Parts: sequence; structure tokens; C-alpha cells
Amino acid sequence: MSVPGGDRPVDAAVVGAGLMGASVALFLARAGMRVALIDRGGICRSASGVNAGTLTLHMTRAALIPYAMRGFEMWADASAWLGHDLGVTRTDGLCCAFTKDEAALLEERTRVRAAAGAPMELVSPARARAIEPGLGEGVRLATFCPIDGFASAYLTGLAYRQALVAAGVQVLEHRPVDGAEPAGTGFRMRGQGFDIRAARVVLAGGVWLEPMLRWFGIDLPVKVLVNQLAVTERLAPVLRTVLTVASGLLSLKQFSNGTVLVGGGWQGRGDRGHATGTLLPENLLGNLRLAAFALPALRDGRLVRAWLGLEAETADAMPAIGPVPGTPGAYVIGSVHSGYTSGPYMGRLLADLILGRTPERPLFPIDRLLAAARGPATEVAAQ
Amino acid sequence: MTDLDLIVIGAGPAGASAALEAHRLGLRCLLVDEAPSAGGQVWRAPPRGFVRRKADVDARAGDRLRAALAASGVRVAFEHPVWLITDGFRIEAVGPAGPVTWRTPAIVAATGASERVVPFPGWTEPGVIGLAGATILLKAQQVLAGERALVAGCGPLLPAVAAGVLKAGGAIEAIVDLASRRDWLAVLPAMLTRPDLLGRGLGWLAQLCRAGVTVHYRHALRRIVRTEGGLRATIALVDDSGAFVSGAGSREFEVDWVAVGHGLVPGTDITRLLGAEHRYEHDRGGWIAIRDEFGRTSVKGLLVAGDGGGIRGAAAAVEEGRLAGLAVAYDQGRLDDAAFARAARPIRRRMRRAAHFGAASARLMALRPGQVGTIPQETLVCRCEDVTRAEVERAIAAGADELNQLKAWTRCGMGPCQGRMCGETAAALVAAVSGSRAAAGFWTGRAPLRPVPLDVLLGDYAYADMPLPRAAPL
Amino acid sequence: MASTNRIQQSSAGARIEGALVRPPSVEITVDGMPVVACPGESLAAALLIAGHRALRASPRLGQPRGAFCLMGVCQECVVQVDGRLVPACQTPVRAGMRVETGGAGG
Repeated sequence: MSVPGGDRPVDAAVVGAGLMGASVALFLARAGMRVALIDRGGICRSASGVNAGTLTLHMTRAALIPYAMRGFEMWADASAWLGHDLGVTRTDGLCCAFTKDEAALLEERTRVRAAAGAPMELVSPARARAIEPGLGEGVRLATFCPIDGFASAYLTGLAYRQALVAAGVQVLEHRPVDGAEPAGTGFRMRGQGFDIRAARVVLAGGVWLEPMLRWFGIDLPVKVLVNQLAVTERLAPVLRTVLTVASGLLSLKQFSNGTVLVGGGWQGRGDRGHATGTLLPENLLGNLRLAAFALPALRDGRLVRAWLGLEAETADAMPAIGPVPGTPGAYVIGSVHSGYTSGPYMGRLLADLILGRTPERPLFPIDRLLAAARGPATEVAAQ
Repeated sequence: MTDLDLIVIGAGPAGASAALEAHRLGLRCLLVDEAPSAGGQVWRAPPRGFVRRKADVDARAGDRLRAALAASGVRVAFEHPVWLITDGFRIEAVGPAGPVTWRTPAIVAATGASERVVPFPGWTEPGVIGLAGATILLKAQQVLAGERALVAGCGPLLPAVAAGVLKAGGAIEAIVDLASRRDWLAVLPAMLTRPDLLGRGLGWLAQLCRAGVTVHYRHALRRIVRTEGGLRATIALVDDSGAFVSGAGSREFEVDWVAVGHGLVPGTDITRLLGAEHRYEHDRGGWIAIRDEFGRTSVKGLLVAGDGGGIRGAAAAVEEGRLAGLAVAYDQGRLDDAAFARAARPIRRRMRRAAHFGAASARLMALRPGQVGTIPQETLVCRCEDVTRAEVERAIAAGADELNQLKAWTRCGMGPCQGRMCGETAAALVAAVSGSRAAAGFWTGRAPLRPVPLDVLLGDYAYADMPLPRAAPL
Repeated sequence: MASTNRIQQSSAGARIEGALVRPPSVEITVDGMPVVACPGESLAAALLIAGHRALRASPRLGQPRGAFCLMGVCQECVVQVDGRLVPACQTPVRAGMRVETGGAGG
């Protein structure tokens, strides 16, 4: 059974309808390609739909700052190009240090991020409190950044689905792909009751990139981070910034509906074999304690929900974006640290590459990770 | 509390019975409940400091249960809402003195049911309360919510609440029953298995008759509006599917409070949280954990008992509790096969008998196929987040083909009630398009099981006390 | 919540006498005003009796909301007691408790 619409192969099949895959699919379709976007579940129901939605530079790796800033602009403008604003809210961003070590860490990280283009500056505790009156005691140093904010990540699927359908993408949900292989001049994706042929394939499977890349003989270890998140009931206005800490272990934001979302990458238990993991109580409590330390007003309210999302991480914690080595026509996108912020931009960059254009910024080819995995002997040979 | 063989969560008829049975068989058992005493919803104790002068049948049953618990020496932890359970099992609760952690190889989840109310315009007006809520107010708190009531909905709670209001000296303008007289007569044979309960019910009807209260069978609330004096309720004729009959007239009543309820829905929070397999069973109130006769679910060591495992009423709940306690004891090697079978036989017999009445009640309370269709587009489906039927259906049309995607796209179910008030309606709306309630799915089980106060949960601590993991990479 | 209280003052509940012996009543404050209640009874019940039916406003539409399920499920009766958000139906009355209606953010 082939894709509804005929037996003609599509120009591109994107496997994985998270933010990355959906973005690539959207931009390819808008450039005129016939695109199929396939997911084993519903669109954006994994990391993309359950993450904290933070749009910040405070938690962005230095090398990714320029990408995050472009991504931020795209999010802020989402109504125009995506047709849905996802509740994107621009705020100030404040990153705090509570100990001497954290202050040193903050100074260093601020310096490096600022050098990479982030408009950040160190501020005193008094200035931090003026920016964020609800701040707890004990702040020794803080970094202020006027480019910060958040989206309601749970709306990502809704926003993208509407845009994708309008762009003519075939959105194929609840269709797990069992395997993909070169077929003729293109590729063939097989699954329960479907068989899709495409000239090109884009692997956008998040934590599932590791098994996906094996379809093409690539052995790329992808670590699975099991990030815990929590949200409160509606509270009175208690937070006006996106609040983070030097170590990156806390993110706090208050939505217009009053709920406060607590994140920071505290780990739960899980793996890619299970769509959802289990909370580790000590880590949830640790995260919440840190949150209440930074924002004491949280203690007046109640925790309403805690959940987990799986985030992909390569060996060097940098993205995996570019062609699949050894398989012309196959591409990969994913594993971007704090990838929600830069997601739409990363998708556009890869789409540009696939369309034969020059991406305006370098991508992140995975060859570097495979060379390292193979070991020094091969590295020497490659040189 | 270190070494435990069993923790029973929920000290209603099912849970208390499970704990008593397990304890009797030598298990080290802990009975936990968020309430200050045992009894659940149906056998609630009066508030602390209140003394009962007169006790009705339910009050006496509750008192007997509480006395049996006290006499047995079963360890109890009241005022301890459980908020998280993880594999193993590890149970997190918050008590008056702060957070508590327990570990146990076995859990009996006996957390009962919650009320289903199918929305109608005005259902969110202050002064409109649930039928089960009205029961609690009348019986446990001995409080009337207003002077003139309208009592509406379906099931055995309807005459119970109405009679309770009269007994308390309140006035009832009308009783509005989705069911027809024939629907009631159809369950009469099953109800004959409990002549005591049937007799009580008939007694209620007689009281209502004597007081001149009219029961409008095959009617439902159309809308409620706030007025100077209180509330104006409009009712209209429905067919057997619960849909309004077009062209039929309506009637209005001036009241100051309304009790309305459309049945009970099993509480599956714990079984969903722990990933047990579930099945949709309409006649048992909806989604329930797949379980054997003793309440064992697909998760090893996790059992269910009582209405939380499927609506079958208090009497069946007691027997299910006993069977669960017995099964845990057997599974932990306290009984051999023969002793287990011997002990189980009379309990199973009583449960089957009790289930007749319970099943009849459940049938009267089951959601009718036309009910959700009566909800006007602009009526709220999700009270917590102010989401209308129209918004829900727009999201479904945009591709939300199962309940959790619907939640992501509308916020329906994201509020502090955790989807308990809107779940039935939302699922029925999704099912109308996806084909079945089974296909529509159920809310993903998440912690906390109930909203948990952060102040008590976090306690007092210094910055240095917090075990901070390694910093994220730069 | 002054505007909604005005509407609801005419619709008040009542304690049923006869079946229960209640402890002597105590005073609590609700939105700064004294209210007589019984220690131990549910705060939701006490508020209904005192005519405080509207306890908060709904989040998007600002509609008045009050106790609905009476069993700690619906969260419609959430009020501030001594600064903390709690469901009134799950909160026993205590002498001197300070209750603020209007929720937190709504």
C-alpha cells in the first residue's frame, strides 16, 4: 500500500515529525518539493511537544548562540511564517549565581556567550532584584539578557500541522517506519501497511536517530537524556523574567495564565524503548527546591503536574545536522542542545542544503563523531 | 515505617476491607488515605469534633468499619495524600508533619470513583454542585447548600440526594431524571438481590411522593442562569439516548441551588501512573485496569479493589477488598493453594451477589450515547481552563485524534483537576470522530496524583542541602 | 470578589440541626470580614452557609466559580488560607483562619 496520492515517489520523506523534522518538511514543501512527513505517533508528541519551551541564550552552548538568536527571531515572528504564534512571549532573561563557584562559572560563561554574540551583561544582586523583584535571597551575581522568552511548546504540533497541510505536505501520523533502504535512485520506507518511496530521506527521529542511522550502516551513539519538568497551578504574578541559574540546572517561567513551569534538565529514568519514563523523586524535589530557593513565592502554590521528555545528545553534545555519510540523498537532523530555540532555524538551514542552496551558516556534519568513534588509527588514515 | 508487605491506598469500603483481611492473614500492612478517617466517600465520618446523635444506615456501616479498623491494630496513615508512586514500589505522600516515603512490594489501589457531570449552559454557576457532592454535604457535613433545590441527573444518587434534602428540611422544586420509569423497572430484578437497599429506595420515593415533589422522568437540564433570587433552571424532554427531543417544550424552575450528576467514573490515577493495561468497559463506568477476579492488574504487585476498578457499589467493594487482601497474602506465600481457595470461596460468592445490585446501579449511571451531543458549542467542557466544546472540536478537526493530543492543543485537561471533570466529555467528543472511546484513549498517567502543596512538600532547607547534579555543558 | 459576593448573599446555605452535635462556633475572616463557622467543618460548607458562593474567577472568561464536587477533585473551591492556596472542601475550619477568595491568578 503506497502513500495516498499516487505511486510517484515523493521528493523527500522526513522520518520523525518533531520540531526538526516538521521544520525541514515545511521549508522543503514551500520551496516546491513533494514531501511526506512520517511519524510513529502523533506530530510533535515527543520532546518537541513536552519541553519547557524556553527561548533563551542563557542555556545555549556558546557555539550555538548565533543559531539560537536566529531561531529566537523566527519564534518571535511565528505568526507571520508559521501562521500561529504559539503564545511566544518575549521577556528579559536573568541567570543567577548563589555561591562563589557559581559566580565564577557565571562570569566565564557570560564572557564566552557574549563573545559569541549574545547581548548579555553581568549585573549586581541589587540590579538583579530590581529586574526580578521576586528573587530569593542569596544571589551573588547575575547575568541579564534582553533576548529571552518562551513559547507554549505543547502548541508546536498544532501550529506546524496546520502549516504543513497548507504547504501540501503529506502528514502521516501513527505510522512507525520499520526500516529504510536505498531503492533505485531513491529510498524506500517500510512500515505496517505502508511503503513510501522518496528521492531523498531526512532522518529526524530525536533520540531514535541512533537506530535510524543504523538503517544506513551508521553507528552513531546518541545518548538519551531523560528531562523532568513540572508545572504549578495558577499563581498570582510572581515572576516577570525567564529565570535560570549559572549551572544551567534551573529554568523558570510564568505564563500569562499564571502557571509556573519548572525545568533544568534534572534526570528521570527512561530509555528510547519506552515513550515515557519514570520520575526520580529525589531529582524532582531537588529541582523544585532549587526553584523555590530562586523564587520563594512558589511555596504558596501547588504542584499540578510533572512529566518527562527524552532529549538526544551526541558524544560532543553538539548537533547532528547534515548529510548521512556514505548514503547520498540521506540527511540527518537532531540532537541539538536546547534545540527548541534554534529548531526552526536548523530546519531551514538543512532544507537549504537539500534544495541545493548554500546554508547561511555551517551545519554540523556527523563525520566528526564517526571518526572519533572509529578511533585514532582511522583518524590518522583520514588525514 | 520500614518493612511493609502491603500498602493499601484509599480507606473506603474496599481499602479498609483489604487492609483488614491482609492484616488478619499476618501481612505487615499500612492503610493510607488523604481523609482524616476511614470510610471513603460513601461512609464518611463526621468532621473531627462533631458527635453524631442520629446515625442512618451508611453512618452505622461507616462506624462499624472504623471500629473494626481500630480494634484490629492495622497501621494507618490518615491525612496523607499520596502524590507519586514509582516502580518497586516507592510511595511518596505528604502528611501533616511533612513528606513521607514508603516502600512496599504490593499495593492495593482502592481510591474509588469521581462524579461525571455532562456539561450544559450554566453548569459552572456557583450554587450548582454535583450529586455526590450534595451527598457529602448533606450526610457528612449536615449542611444544605440552599433553601430551594433542583435535583437532576441519573442513577441511585438522585433519589438519595432528594430524600436527603427533604429530610434535612429543605425544599425541592423538582427532580429531573434522565431515566424513564421503565429504565428503573428494568433494573428491579437485580435490585431485588438487596431488599434492604431496594426498600430504602422505595422509602425515599414514598417520602418524595408525600412531599408532593414531582419526578420528571426522561428529562434533563437544558440550562441554568443566574437570577436576582438565585438560579433559574430549564429542563426539557430527552429520548432514551439522552438527547433533547426537538419540538418538546421546556419548563423552568426558580431555585437557589442545583445538585446534578451523571454517574460515577472509576478513579484510575494509580493504575495509569504505573502503566497497567486498561480496557474501556462502558457498563463499569469507563476505562478500568485489566484485572483478574482478585484485582491483580498487569503490573506485578499492583491490585485494584472497589469502584476504582469498575463501578459496582459499596457492598461489592467490601468483598473485592477482601479478595485483594487475600490474594496479596497468597502471592506472598502466607497461604497454600487449598487454604486460598477455601478462603476465597465465600467472599467470591458474596461479591457476585453484591455485584448484581452494583451492576444495576452502574447501568443506570452509564453515559448515554446522546448526552454529549446536547452540549452547545459555546458551553465549557473544561472548567479549569475555560475550553468550550467548539474549541475542542476545532482541535479535533485540526488533527487531534486522541485525548492527549487534544489536551496539548487546547489545554483541556491541563488544569488542576487533572482532567477529571472534563475527561469524559472530551473523550466522547474525540470518540465521535476517532470511532470509539477505546480509540480516543485516556489521559497519560502522571504525578502528582493530586495537586500537592509545595510548601509542605519541600520543607525547610539551605542551599548547601541541595544535591545539585553536574552543570550542563557550555 | 466584592461584586460576586453581592449576588450571592441572597442564596445562603444552612446547617442541618438534629443529627450532629457541633462544637461551639468560632470566628474566621473571609476577605477581611468576620464569618462564624464550626471548627472542623469543611471550609467549603462554611462558606456556602455564609453566602460566599463565588470563591474565584475562571481563568480566561473571568466567570464566578465556587465549590462543585465537594470531594477535592474539581479544584473550583480553591481559596487562599493564611497565604496558601488550598481546596476549601478539603480544609477543616480552624479558629482565626484568614481566607481570601479570588484565587491567585484566577
